[in-house]
Amino acid sequence: MKWLPNSIRWRIQLWHGVLLLLVLVVFGVTAWRLQYNNEIRILDGRLQLLLSELHVGLAQGGDAEQPPEPPDDVAMLLGLPAMPRRVEPSRRTNSNPSFPHYHRIWWRDGIVKESVGAVPTSLTRPSKRGAAVDQRTQEGFREVYQFTPPGECLLVGVPESVIEAQMRSFAVQVVGVCTVVFALGMVGGWWMASRAIAPIRDISEAAQRISGGHLKERIPVAETESELGQLAGLLNDAFTRLDAAFEQQARFTSDAAHELRTPVSIILAQTQLALSKPRSVEAHVKTIEMTRRSAQRMQELIESLLMLAKADAGAEAEREAVQLDALGRENLDHIRPLAEEKRITLHDDLTPATCRAHAGHVSQILTNLLGNAVKYCRPGDEVRISTHRQNGHAILTVADTGPGIPAEHLPHLFERFYRAEGSRNRSTGGAGLGLAICKTLVEALGGRITVESDWQKGTTFQVTLPG
Amino acid sequence: MRLLIVEDEPDMLDTLAEAMRGEGYAVDEAADGEDGLFKALEIDYDLIICDVMMPVHDGFELLRRLRQVKKTPVLMLTARNKVQDRIQGLDTGADDYLAKPVDLNELAARVRALIRRAHGNATPVIIVGEVEIDTSAQTVKVAGQPVPLRGREYALLEFCVQHRGKIITRTQLYEHLHDENDTPISNLVDVHVFNLRKKLGQDFIVTHRGRGYSIGL
Repeated sequence: MKWLPNSIRWRIQLWHGVLLLLVLVVFGVTAWRLQYNNEIRILDGRLQLLLSELHVGLAQGGDAEQPPEPPDDVAMLLGLPAMPRRVEPSRRTNSNPSFPHYHRIWWRDGIVKESVGAVPTSLTRPSKRGAAVDQRTQEGFREVYQFTPPGECLLVGVPESVIEAQMRSFAVQVVGVCTVVFALGMVGGWWMASRAIAPIRDISEAAQRISGGHLKERIPVAETESELGQLAGLLNDAFTRLDAAFEQQARFTSDAAHELRTPVSIILAQTQLALSKPRSVEAHVKTIEMTRRSAQRMQELIESLLMLAKADAGAEAEREAVQLDALGRENLDHIRPLAEEKRITLHDDLTPATCRAHAGHVSQILTNLLGNAVKYCRPGDEVRISTHRQNGHAILTVADTGPGIPAEHLPHLFERFYRAEGSRNRSTGGAGLGLAICKTLVEALGGRITVESDWQKGTTFQVTLPG
Repeated sequence: MRLLIVEDEPDMLDTLAEAMRGEGYAVDEAADGEDGLFKALEIDYDLIICDVMMPVHDGFELLRRLRQVKKTPVLMLTARNKVQDRIQGLDTGADDYLAKPVDLNELAARVRALIRRAHGNATPVIIVGEVEIDTSAQTVKVAGQPVPLRGREYALLEFCVQHRGKIITRTQLYEHLHDENDTPISNLVDVHVFNLRKKLGQDFIVTHRGRGYSIGL
């Protein structure tokens, strides 16, 4: 997979290569230009040397011989004895085949005075400038020229091809060096990309293993400061949360299965027993009673589970203005017969309080809290329900003077299927979902539920709902 | 044979107790681990059937504490049926492990097997002289002929046969044939022994005056 051309390593390598190539091309071209200019300057130096020789020659010979009146008497000029002396330097240089220079001298009126060497046919007299030595490149020839103060023009030229060999060898060197640098750069780039990618690969391999089911494993984080370390840290956090969620889910499912399995076991065993041999009517009645009780328990559990599922999705439930005090009174009336039967006194202190919630959900919370209070209270105990407004919130309090809850159970009280020791018996058996449902519902409604309890003194649940 | 059933679900406890009484066992009941442990330490049961998830002491805790003192066979019964639960149970000293919901026939078979093994018998059929006792079918044959026995008679016979070669005291017999709710009449054992001798032969059960009874000593 890492060898695929669209892998990050390949992409880094490609970008790196293109960038390196660009840099090397710029470098190569610049170097070539600089070298070319250098060569030209050397060439110019040589040409200037020749020009000055020519100039000296012209000055030595020309001063005595040059007839000022007939400026274009070429034949006479050629016949002068000074001529061979002037020609001599150019002939000497011309004998060098690697530097096939030429020169030409014009009179001040533009007539060619002297032309030695392989003078190009297109050669023209430079337009007049100052007395300084000047140079030009014209149609592949490098020329240096100078005007004498009176106006004669001396020009020495050479084909630029004389530096071609040097330039070519220089180009070969530059290309060679660039190639080596490019190759090294690519190898280095590959190595660097590997180094940069290695932690990513480690992370992705670890992540793959973890998502493959090893949820307990974590990505090893060597350096927490680097970007990759932070990424690994974030991933680890996500995995931890995921693991916790999975574990909670698994525990929930296992608890739910366990709670369902008990009544199912009873039904299966009882019916098996009833069918195994002839029995008395009383025994059958007992079996049917037990079966009914178990079925009822399953029914309650299923209702609770459904309620919990609904509560989990409760955030989406439609909200309306709910009169908390009215709902409280209603629920109090429902529970009253049971409370009277257990000789538990109910008190209410219901002042108007409105919350934005789902009436069914609030009613469920009230039922569970009141139901618990009455269920766990002993005869003679008291249960008090009160509602009031505070800072824009609706507050519901259900307090009892019952047996209280030992402190060690309080942190777990709202956990699903959690049952405080002793609450699991004949008279008060439940699945341990009531308070979990309350908490889920309250939180879905954007509220808060808290509990305070004093052992042997009583318990108070307080629900705060947004007004 | 006397069993103890420790189970916190009242209906389940009733059902199991009824089923085991139907199998001819004397059954004691305990609704939580504390009560269960107390009874298990107090009385020498032939077998304890114990739930895992219980208030006060859970099944593992009960088993751990019991094993410090006694080797009574224990069958763990639980709705939690994960491999690690089973391993934990067996490693703590349980002799068998059965997941809820249980099949009562399977439970009865396992109970029989555990009691049998506790007394060093590999097969359910025990032969003493001419008497052949099938502990799984709870039938008795003398010289190949089936002999009908009443529940308590069979229970007494099986207890004696399982402990054959040893002298069994009358107290032991009372303890193992009656559960905590029975109020046995003091000469009931003598009546059962008398009836068994009539059906299986006078010499089958030997009386050791002042000490008790024995079979095959």
